[in-house]
Amino acid sequence: MASVLRHSAKFTSGISSSLAACARNGTACAFPCHAFRHRNSSTSSKIRVDLDSSTGVAVMTLQGPPVNSMCMDFLTDFAISMEKLELDKNCRGLILTSAVPKVFSAGLDIMEMYGKGPEHATVFWRAVQEMWFKLYSSNMVTIAAVNGSSPAGGCLLALSSDYRIMADNPRYVIGLNEAQVGIVAPFWLKDNMVQTLGHRQTEKSLQLAQLYSAPDALKIGLVDKLVPEEKVLSTATETMAKWFSIPDHSRQITKSMMRKQTIDKFLSNRETDINNFANFVTKDSIQKSLGTYLAKLKKKKA
Amino acid sequence: MASLLRRSAKFTSGLLSSLSVCTRNGRACALPYHQLNHRNSSTTSKIKVDLDSSTGVAVMTFQGPPVNSMSLDFLTEFAISMEKLELDKSCRGVILTSGLPKIFSAGLDITEMYGKGPEHAAVFWRAVQEMWLKLYGSNMVTIAAINGSSPAGGCLMALSCDYRIMADNPRYSIGLNETLLGIVAPFWFMDTMNNTIGNRETEKALQLGLLYSTSDALKAGLVDELVPEEKVLTTATEAMAKWLSIPDHSRQITKSMMRKQTIDKLSSNRETDVNYFVKFITKDSIQKSLGMYLAMLKKRKA
Repeated sequence: MASVLRHSAKFTSGISSSLAACARNGTACAFPCHAFRHRNSSTSSKIRVDLDSSTGVAVMTLQGPPVNSMCMDFLTDFAISMEKLELDKNCRGLILTSAVPKVFSAGLDIMEMYGKGPEHATVFWRAVQEMWFKLYSSNMVTIAAVNGSSPAGGCLLALSSDYRIMADNPRYVIGLNEAQVGIVAPFWLKDNMVQTLGHRQTEKSLQLAQLYSAPDALKIGLVDKLVPEEKVLSTATETMAKWFSIPDHSRQITKSMMRKQTIDKFLSNRETDINNFANFVTKDSIQKSLGTYLAKLKKKKA
Repeated sequence: MASLLRRSAKFTSGLLSSLSVCTRNGRACALPYHQLNHRNSSTTSKIKVDLDSSTGVAVMTFQGPPVNSMSLDFLTEFAISMEKLELDKSCRGVILTSGLPKIFSAGLDITEMYGKGPEHAAVFWRAVQEMWLKLYGSNMVTIAAINGSSPAGGCLMALSCDYRIMADNPRYSIGLNETLLGIVAPFWFMDTMNNTIGNRETEKALQLGLLYSTSDALKAGLVDELVPEEKVLTTATEAMAKWLSIPDHSRQITKSMMRKQTIDKLSSNRETDVNYFVKFITKDSIQKSLGMYLAMLKKRKA
């Protein structure tokens, strides 16, 4: 699940500049999601949540420049936010969007997978699973307001939502491109994609690590609607109102019946999935793959 | 499941006039489909079957004014008719259509579910299951000639057929709109829709209780063909000839291979499904929902 943005040198340079070792507390750290000025990662908020209790709609804005990478801090923040909103009786719906220009999210932070060892891989992967699971099984109406490119983990956020609106910008791309980076989309994400695109399209899409432009994403049903970029959020709000007009209980029972099989399969296999990931990602060949990929990103910057 | 027709006041008024209490044998009955002049419901035929033994095609015409509600009587007649046709060696295909203007079927008769108690609910639900099992699992070629609106149970009957032809009339709609009434489509309705229009579309359609316009229904693949209303039955007959040109045994084995999993999922769990339905429908909150819906229909008429 890689941060891959090929279209714009700006993105890759963004990643590379963050990849450059930054000194923090005297230790070199290479986490792309930590900006220089934040010394205490637990107080740097990668996610902003605004809940309007009168409408019952929360907007979760990803604000982790340069590319909203999903590092451990991000995933932890996300899980906590989701839990709070799920328990809040005032909150009936969630809109996910980005405050970082041109990017919805570039996906999982590769630095969390590179040179870290199996224990960290285990902790990290559990957090990735949790992010998907909380979003996919949410009782709230969830709408992804995709206002930028959205590869890999970004696409995961979109796919797990009830509805996807994307900015009508052919330079923005979305898709599960793990295979390109040398890793593999987990089975539960594959299941989510199959449910959305169908079996054949998913088989092709995953194997080719396809990143679809916004117009193509609409054509294959990866997103539900394209609107001008400045209208993405307002369209999400209007759509939310439409979904709210359905009685909550019948909508929720319907949603959970439709998603039950995928969820059950995930739950009964999540530990195995974590072990598989830890074994896989710590393999020399995979580490090498990731290293090569990171070097390529650095080179593009230079 | 629900009789929900928002487009035409005629439908709702039709439904309401039948809902008004009528006396029969000195007892008040509120069953919508009993006309005042039919004193014995078991001789009121809701379904007309014409079998042409020379072509091997039966036409099953729904004739239960005002809206071909799927009452217990309707469902019983349906099951008996299907069984007879299934056992008749000269019958290879059946076309389902409506003898009432503007309506294919408005779906399950709500008064069978409202204020009736758990025993009746169980009897009714078993009859609904039976209808679907016989239609979806039929060895005959089944074609729905949809010459009117077709919400909820009407949509289910159409979806269970091999092929769907609908009248190209912008005033007609079709879909599974249960959530709008505060109820939930059972899993085998979901499965049938899923097998037809795919998972993503089903998840969206069911949560929103979508009633598709005819053109949207065609686009989504909910129906296979749109033709002028006066051509629906002839087109069905032509389509039937095409399907009947395939050797019966290979077509039947293929059909049952494709549908087996979905059928088994219900047939191995019928009583559990009945219990779930009874428990759900007899809940105070759900009964209240249904009551409100019936009251709304009454109000519209007045």
